[in-house]
Amino acid sequence: MYGIIDCDNCYVSCERVFRPDLKDKPVIVLSNNDGCVVARSNEAKKMGIKAGVPYYQLAEKFPGQKIAVFSSNYELYGELTGRVVSIIRKEAPAYFRYSIDECFVYFQDVEQVDLKQWGENLHKRIKRSVGMPVSIGLAPTKTLAKMASHFAKRHSGYRHCCLIDNDEKRIKALKLYPIDDVWGIGRRYAARLKSLGVETAYDFASHKLSWVQATFRNIVIERTWRELNGEDCVPNEELARKKSICTSRSFNGMITDLEGLRTHVSNYAARCAEKLRQEGSVASIVSVFLYTNPFREDLPQYTSFMETRLSVPTDSTIEIVKAAYDVLQQLYREGYHYKKAGVIVMGIGPKSPIQLDLFDYNAEQFQKMKRLDAVIDRINKVNGTETIVLGSQQYTRRDGKGKANVFANAIKHDYRSKNPTTRWSDIIVLK
Amino acid sequence: MPNIHIIKGEFKERLELQLAPGIRAGFPSPAEDYLHDSLDFNHDLIRNPEATFYGRVEGDSMIEAGICDGDLAVIDRSVEPQDGDIVVAFINEEFTIKYLDLTHRSEGYIELRPANRRFKPIRINAEDDFEVWGVVVWTIKQWKR
Repeated sequence: MYGIIDCDNCYVSCERVFRPDLKDKPVIVLSNNDGCVVARSNEAKKMGIKAGVPYYQLAEKFPGQKIAVFSSNYELYGELTGRVVSIIRKEAPAYFRYSIDECFVYFQDVEQVDLKQWGENLHKRIKRSVGMPVSIGLAPTKTLAKMASHFAKRHSGYRHCCLIDNDEKRIKALKLYPIDDVWGIGRRYAARLKSLGVETAYDFASHKLSWVQATFRNIVIERTWRELNGEDCVPNEELARKKSICTSRSFNGMITDLEGLRTHVSNYAARCAEKLRQEGSVASIVSVFLYTNPFREDLPQYTSFMETRLSVPTDSTIEIVKAAYDVLQQLYREGYHYKKAGVIVMGIGPKSPIQLDLFDYNAEQFQKMKRLDAVIDRINKVNGTETIVLGSQQYTRRDGKGKANVFANAIKHDYRSKNPTTRWSDIIVLK
Repeated sequence: MPNIHIIKGEFKERLELQLAPGIRAGFPSPAEDYLHDSLDFNHDLIRNPEATFYGRVEGDSMIEAGICDGDLAVIDRSVEPQDGDIVVAFINEEFTIKYLDLTHRSEGYIELRPANRRFKPIRINAEDDFEVWGVVVWTIKQWKR
């Protein structure tokens, strides 16, 4: 049985932890550099504020309306969501963080557990401890769990936890669920499905598998169909695709030593950094997972997943490789034969326009940057990390006067909240 | 001369939860198994790391409780607030630290009581939208910088 725990309007909820007065008020969070709306409270959604709207348009569109506005503060969001994950880790037998605000859990043995009660208690504990409201969906597959979490979010009757544990519930939920909202069905496929008369998840799931295969010839769509019909088939790493970037491989043979793993993990991390740069994003969380070979029942088994937060979101190869190695050192246990490892970066946001200027993509420049990255990696490997840092890591300061040594000083964040959980100077004042 | 027992405290590890960026639990020391009996503030002051927050006291509304301007408060949000607890609440756009007084609950109101005769208790009616933000489990005073 899978479960997904999804933070409700995550960034807004983080801001509200230290601003309880904003409960029930419209709140929005802006992207890096205060460009556009990236998170909205339910009240802001009801007002008709759409995700992705440029900030400057809000004043025109909603004159005279009171909206609480925050610049994004990934330091705060990373810390508070880390607390949520930490609670989940204590309460669930196995977990896998899927994005900054979503975490999967897995129960192998469900006979002993009242899952509905488990979910309701978990919600209460997270809400009470961290101040974060979450929605929990529990079902035999990840796709169904995701759907269940939507029901938990939309209808208060579920008390924040929706459990699909039999066919009757599954079919009822599928019938009420629009095909557009199904996890793994992109906009394009949803449109195509609708043109074929498929309106709900149920319409799709009741087609024959052969029809799905013949119509789409697409493994992802086929897997979604299987999952909706209760067959567990989306692998964990696959999950990481959408809101995070994952690079993982099975080794040729098995690896036992830390140094051997380090080489692999560093390469995966570098690849993640490269992918981030390609799509013009930065990440704020770097996680690493390690598996032994589950088919070698004669060997001791160890599976682990851990992550670290970056104080400043980055796309730098050096920083991401370094963070991944830090995590690997904590994960690694001697005496196991490892078969597979992977690096996942998440908490992904757009790179600031200032930084884009520095790269200013023309193909030649980009190739040069990539070569430079490779050379720097090599030199740093020999002479220790950060022997050389990229010139592009020195950002132009916001006021245009010279270079800023940290990314945070280079981006615009006029409405940024404090960091009461990570800086002593910012802790709350009690009167 | 009062008798003072000096207890040697040792910090065997940092909190698992990050307090500041870049600070993290290190590689477990091989000597860790032998350190079980050391006193550890991180463990004893912070029972629920995920629910623990810190606050700086400003003003002297709690001075008769021994809580002074500049003291550091360790706040646990997971503790169920009880009558007589020192709590943190958010009222009139600011966080406040006061005693929680539930004696008049049956009469339809509760009070946040200061520990200073110059201050008045804050009365909260049952219909008010009020929530205790967290319970103060420790305060820490610095005597020498």
